[in-house]
Amino acid sequence: MSEQALDREVTFSAFFREKVLLGMAPKTYAKSLLTKTNAIFAAILAIGLPTMAYRFWKGMGAVSHLSQTNPWGIWVAFDIVCGVALAAGGYTVAAAVYLFGQKQFRPVLRPAILTGFLGYAFVVVGLMVDLGQPWRLPYQFFLTPGTTAVMYEVGWCVFLYLMVLALEFLPAALEWMGATKVRRYMGTLTIGIIVLGVTLSTLHQSSLGAFFLMSPGKLHPLWYSPFLPIFFFVSSIAAGIGMVIFESTVSHRAFRDQLDPTAHVDMGALQLGLAKGGAVVLFAYFFIRLQGLAGSGRWDLLLTGWGAWYALEMLGFVLLPSFLFAFAVRTQSAALARAAGIMTVLGVVLNRFNVSLIAFNWNVPDRYIPALGEIVISITIVTLGVLVFRWIVNRMPVLHEHPEWRGVH
Amino acid sequence: MNVNRRNLFKIAGAAGAATLAGRALSSAAPRGSARDAVGVLVDTTRCVGCRACEAACAEANRLAGPEKPGDETVFASRRKTSPTALTVVNKSAVKSPSGEDRYAKSQCMHCVTPACASGCVVKALEKTAAGPVVYHEDRCLGCRYCMIACPFGVPKYEYSKAAPLVKKCTFCAARQEKGLPPACADACPSGALTFGKRADLLEEARARIYQNPTKYIHEIYGENEAGGTSWLYITDVPFTSYGLPSDIAKKSYPEMADGALSAVPFVVTLWPPLLMGLYTFSKRRDDAAGAESGKEEGHE
Amino acid sequence: MHESDLLSPHATKAIEYLLAVSYLLLFIPFWRFVNGASPAQAFSLGWFHVPDNVHLHRGHSWARTFGGAVAVGLDDFAHKLIGPVDAVELPAVGTALRQGQKAFTVVADGQPFDVVSPVDGNVVAVNEVTRARPSDAVRDPYGTGWLLKVEPRWLTANLKNLVSGDAARRFLDAAAEALSGRMSPELGVVLQDGGTPVNGIAREIDPAHWAELVRKALRAE
Repeated sequence: MSEQALDREVTFSAFFREKVLLGMAPKTYAKSLLTKTNAIFAAILAIGLPTMAYRFWKGMGAVSHLSQTNPWGIWVAFDIVCGVALAAGGYTVAAAVYLFGQKQFRPVLRPAILTGFLGYAFVVVGLMVDLGQPWRLPYQFFLTPGTTAVMYEVGWCVFLYLMVLALEFLPAALEWMGATKVRRYMGTLTIGIIVLGVTLSTLHQSSLGAFFLMSPGKLHPLWYSPFLPIFFFVSSIAAGIGMVIFESTVSHRAFRDQLDPTAHVDMGALQLGLAKGGAVVLFAYFFIRLQGLAGSGRWDLLLTGWGAWYALEMLGFVLLPSFLFAFAVRTQSAALARAAGIMTVLGVVLNRFNVSLIAFNWNVPDRYIPALGEIVISITIVTLGVLVFRWIVNRMPVLHEHPEWRGVH
Repeated sequence: MNVNRRNLFKIAGAAGAATLAGRALSSAAPRGSARDAVGVLVDTTRCVGCRACEAACAEANRLAGPEKPGDETVFASRRKTSPTALTVVNKSAVKSPSGEDRYAKSQCMHCVTPACASGCVVKALEKTAAGPVVYHEDRCLGCRYCMIACPFGVPKYEYSKAAPLVKKCTFCAARQEKGLPPACADACPSGALTFGKRADLLEEARARIYQNPTKYIHEIYGENEAGGTSWLYITDVPFTSYGLPSDIAKKSYPEMADGALSAVPFVVTLWPPLLMGLYTFSKRRDDAAGAESGKEEGHE
Repeated sequence: MHESDLLSPHATKAIEYLLAVSYLLLFIPFWRFVNGASPAQAFSLGWFHVPDNVHLHRGHSWARTFGGAVAVGLDDFAHKLIGPVDAVELPAVGTALRQGQKAFTVVADGQPFDVVSPVDGNVVAVNEVTRARPSDAVRDPYGTGWLLKVEPRWLTANLKNLVSGDAARRFLDAAAEALSGRMSPELGVVLQDGGTPVNGIAREIDPAHWAELVRKALRAE
């Protein structure tokens, strides 16, 4: 082998060891993976991955309870619809930092963008699992675009936004790889990318609600509204805030060794800042939902069983977290803000489930109950997302600034 | 009609070519106002429940024959269409005022402005100018949004297949290309199914009702349902007794998504200047706070 | 589709308008509630800063009014002077405080430092977050680093004995100057790259007698 080739060999394996194996010898690295948490993850994947393979081999009918009456199940309701809503932290924090000038949220910007990027990427994975012929996904872009379809707009938006998120996260990856020249060339993120990201997010977050506009007979009147797109968009902001608070809390405990102790990040103050936004957004969201109800005029339905369920969602998971956020900010209690953040996330998940699954086909006797296979696959997709998140956070400057790129953005 | 493989390819080829040609037409055609669009008038007072339509449909679409042929017990429960039964005949829960059993055929309604076609992301479902809502097997990605969108619950999915497709009545578009009526209408012995131009059929339906005011219910199901459907029903027992849904809006379903879709260009146009304005404003405010905020942050 | 079968269009519209107006009316108090405890807008001033709406006591405790209550804490100067804090001993809720008398104790490097209260009143709340993580208080001493909430008794009279705004800044300037006189050759040691003081100036200046230095500053002379 020539000297140059040998050089390249050596540097590549050194790079691999340093960057991928966290500086450990392969055997040591492998041993370091034998933890209790990883055992759980391994168990999930050991059941989940074969189930996913089975789904593709034997068809959806073999693993799911999808039926002619219930064509959409938890793969759509959770992995796709909730997945998009919960990945909204990417655009909300980016907007807060770059457009609203709220630079105190910078420490959670990269984690939020990563959560967003991985969130959307795994939404696409969920889509692959749910589609009958997923290899035909590009047809909508290049073959026979159905331009009148809401899904067409969603498809393009999600595709473009995934590119935007990749671009927004790329600096972190470049810093990790030591690709100084390219990183320098990328320079600071142009505001244009941020504006594009917020615009695209507005479009597809609201369009997920638009899916159900053509179903006034199938969606219970308490949830159906011509303003569903607006409801979905506004609640996605709240979901983003809640998720960033939740994710930052978990990351700061789970990935403590990735934090820069000299960075003086007051996470409590940061989360309280987010909580203030959350309080106001949820308060406004509660009232626009009420307006939707007023517009339908169906106050009588509040007295039904469905009305109680609606009240639970609205009062327990929209108004209550709004007040909890407000109280947390007022008393400067970061712990309360975290609790409210979790409730907000659960509230948005509940809303998405109600609109796409629970209150959908509410008057049909053949109700859908997810099959074990569907649940296993959903859990597997989330697990894969968490594992990729962990892999990246443990290596790339996400929870801390890269020492060579401190202060540069 | 004997449909062997060669004929099938000929028909498929012809249909494909016609659809390609028709594609330009249908996207240009004003929504739902093609005057020559076809339809079928289902007069349930004439239906005897022989299910010849089911058999003819199965044959025309190369499917296994109808369930329990000639067996009356099939009417004991209400049936729905399925991937292998594109049309079914159901018995009414109530007898006619004259004491007779009543039956009605159920299939795709071939709406004038179909929700399924407007919602299809790859135009696999497409409304043709001639009237039928056709399905292109080679485009469908299996998102099943058509099943969500269709208020009648018509499209059915082949969940058990490795390359699944949506299955529904095609209105025998291929036969119609050749100037033939749909197989079911052709096979019907009692004259319950009348094939013709929708506009003419509406007149016919009104005429029948006008001439027999005490016999028929004074309503044509499909005249305005979902903005109008190609398959029209007149009957002397409530429509719901056959399972025809009563909660269909009397307006076009695709219109319900219009608001959201037309907002897209506005968002794309207005958001960038609004957001850039926000950015400029907050930047100016930051600059005014100036070196102070710089020092505050430590590094910026 | 049910298009408000039960309510006439007029009633529906009336309710919608009513709802919108109610929302606007409710939003005002909600906004004010949420903003009641906003982190102080600090002005960086030389080494130590004090925001406009904060009143300082000679003993380097501060009071900030909000609504009918008063938040109390330790000012930026004293925090930086004392350095990393091990614990804060806070009075129980209900304790009566007197202006100029001991309010709470800050423990650093095993040494307790009493801090006097800036106002008269009763303790209505203590900051559990700061009590658990006292060293966090230095990052936002006038905001999240608050220590006590007090229901004041003679607020107007108390405020006359406190300084705020420019007067407060001059007060801290003087304190800084007094310190700088003690550390001329060591100036570089106590300042970070950005020119802001390290956390724990007293220990840097006089490692042997730093506790005495702190107590003198807090003694409100």
